[in-house]
Amino acid sequence: MNAQAQKQKPSITILQFICIISGIQIGVAVLSLPGNLVKAAGTDGWIAIIIGWIIAGVAGTVIVMVMKNGQDETILELISRTLGKWAGKLAALLMACYFVLLTFDGLNRTVLITKTWLLPNTSSFTLMVLMLIPSYAVLNNQIIAVGRYVVVIFLMSLWVPFIYLLPLKNGHLLHLLPVIKEGWGPVFIALKALIYPSLGIIAAFFLYPYLKNKKQAVAGMWVSNSITMGLYLFITVICLLFYSPDEFIQYNEPVISMLSSIEFRFVERIEVLFIAFYIFFFSMVWIPCLYLTVECTSWMLGGKKKTLHLQIICVGLAVITYLLKPTFSASDDLQERLMWIGFGFEYVLPVCLLGYLWIYGKFQPRR
Amino acid sequence: MPIMIVRRGLLACLLLIPLTGCADQIDLETATVPLALGMDLDEEGRFHYFTSEPIFSSKLKKTSHESSGTSTTLRQSRERQDSQILGLTLGRNFQVTIIGKRMMQHKGWFKMMDVLYRDARNTLTDRMIMFDGPVSELFALDQPDQPMMPVLLRGMVINKSSRSETANTSVQQLHRQMYETGITPYVSEITVSNKKIYMAGTALMDSKGIYVESLNTTESILLAVLQRTANPGISLTFQIPGVEKQPPFVSNSVSISPGKISTKIKTSYENGKFNFHIKVKTNVSLTEHLFPFDVFKEKKELEKKINEQMTKKLTALVHKIQKKKVDPIGLGLYARAHEYDAYMKVKDNWGEALSRGDVKIEVSVTIASVGAVR
Repeated sequence: MNAQAQKQKPSITILQFICIISGIQIGVAVLSLPGNLVKAAGTDGWIAIIIGWIIAGVAGTVIVMVMKNGQDETILELISRTLGKWAGKLAALLMACYFVLLTFDGLNRTVLITKTWLLPNTSSFTLMVLMLIPSYAVLNNQIIAVGRYVVVIFLMSLWVPFIYLLPLKNGHLLHLLPVIKEGWGPVFIALKALIYPSLGIIAAFFLYPYLKNKKQAVAGMWVSNSITMGLYLFITVICLLFYSPDEFIQYNEPVISMLSSIEFRFVERIEVLFIAFYIFFFSMVWIPCLYLTVECTSWMLGGKKKTLHLQIICVGLAVITYLLKPTFSASDDLQERLMWIGFGFEYVLPVCLLGYLWIYGKFQPRR
Repeated sequence: MPIMIVRRGLLACLLLIPLTGCADQIDLETATVPLALGMDLDEEGRFHYFTSEPIFSSKLKKTSHESSGTSTTLRQSRERQDSQILGLTLGRNFQVTIIGKRMMQHKGWFKMMDVLYRDARNTLTDRMIMFDGPVSELFALDQPDQPMMPVLLRGMVINKSSRSETANTSVQQLHRQMYETGITPYVSEITVSNKKIYMAGTALMDSKGIYVESLNTTESILLAVLQRTANPGISLTFQIPGVEKQPPFVSNSVSISPGKISTKIKTSYENGKFNFHIKVKTNVSLTEHLFPFDVFKEKKELEKKINEQMTKKLTALVHKIQKKKVDPIGLGLYARAHEYDAYMKVKDNWGEALSRGDVKIEVSVTIASVGAVR
């Protein structure tokens, strides 16, 4: 009976685990990261990524360690078992809010970028609805569909970084020198810019129970963090080589602007094709986040009618877009806020939980 | 049953997706795609724009249509452009952007180009060109024996710059050169004489973008050597002093074609002055020498003479640059990389600081081949 239940329970592979976490992290954050790093630490911003990599890796390990305290249960079940039923409900509500904000932020950015670069005359609402329809189609299935979707997008995008080697023809290694030009202070201040782009490790709280081989979880966390930070380092260094330090801050989205300087003999305006493709890439934020939102709300209200929850949230997102009319400054504002909220959820909360569970384990020995 | 309905609904929605492009649609028949953009000031200081767009028609002899007019800004000029032509103007396919010399002598001309950078639908790969003369003259040229002006100009810039005979500055790179404090902008320069377009070399601007000096094609090659952008395939000709001439022929000439050039720049800061030591090292092949000379026996001597001449020419170029207080070489980048603190103090006035600095040039040429004949 038990074995049968085990079999029916959906499970994800370690590759899907890695791709989902990296996808949420990279998503739309990669666009603004180089600019934010440079604003804080000039051309030394890239050093912060290496430090941020270690911090995010440790935070991920802490999350997995928290999850090891439970047996095949999500964080919400774990919290309600150890802290009480209402604490679980409260956690579910807060996390649902957090994930819906991440979802909205991802969608909002995608809509804004699509509008600026591709379809300036199309309304944000129409674009939002268009992004939500395929998301709904993916999400109406189990976690397996999300995992597979993200892996497919990941594999499809593997070639993209190589395109960024082309503008390097006009790159200057001199931009990076001297290393540590203003001391270590600005580098540590730049770490702040890395909080938002590292958000996503929290997904492990919900993915861990589905993971086939739980022993790989810590390694998986480190691999996904390394993929994310490796990509950030790559893109940031290329941006620094290509744009002069004095010119850099003139660009809102250097990662996209750089594409407009790529020339091929056989095709012009290459960036247009790329931005259309990037929508797939951006969807790696909002599709898993939307899934996690539904997971939280449906758990909070008894664990049934997931489809209804998904429908309500999708319609809600569309309506909010219609009413709010997204702007870049509002989106920047949201990202700034998300940075601190996310810091609380993904860095502070796991450490507190781990401490609590350790004390809990001491006083209440397992039977 | 409900699943079927949902699936059909989704399919219908998926089919509707392509329709959203309709809001941003452009019919090819109504689009006018200018290939060249020109900007200039007239005698009274009014801003003029010029565009040249191809016409696809077998009935007309002329293959392009030129429109022009005055306006306050470039984006505003679009209305005026549209009033002269059949379709709607799009900035998506500019090949070249031409600025008149008069406009480039006015501070703040670069701000006029803001729309090119801000509106993401405009191209940034079009080449920047300065025209020595009124731009209206260039756009009025219609020579039946020459290719379409924008195509000709772009080809000229790209191909000549592959031999370093002119700058290869795209609109994107101009942005970098304008904002970077360690380098001053430079663009290609063309002239028209006898109704023919000529590549004149490189136009240099100061840090505010104001035109200050022109370099001819030889100087442009030497500039590329110092910028470390010179590709194999360039050609340099020197007159060796002390060799007898047979007028009217300048028979004391020797031409070389360098292979890969290694340019090393050492930076130091002493007594409030920046010092640069530039070492140029290359293997060359002789492509021409007009005076009798036993290259095998006296190779070292010839190398020495070429070194002397090239050092002299490079030094003259550097002096010319220093005198105008500009820095197209980008020595400021080296200064920032190696003498950060000292550079940051003079950052906003780098051209001035460089003009007070010392630049020492050392050339070491090795003759690798002498050609097919003795």
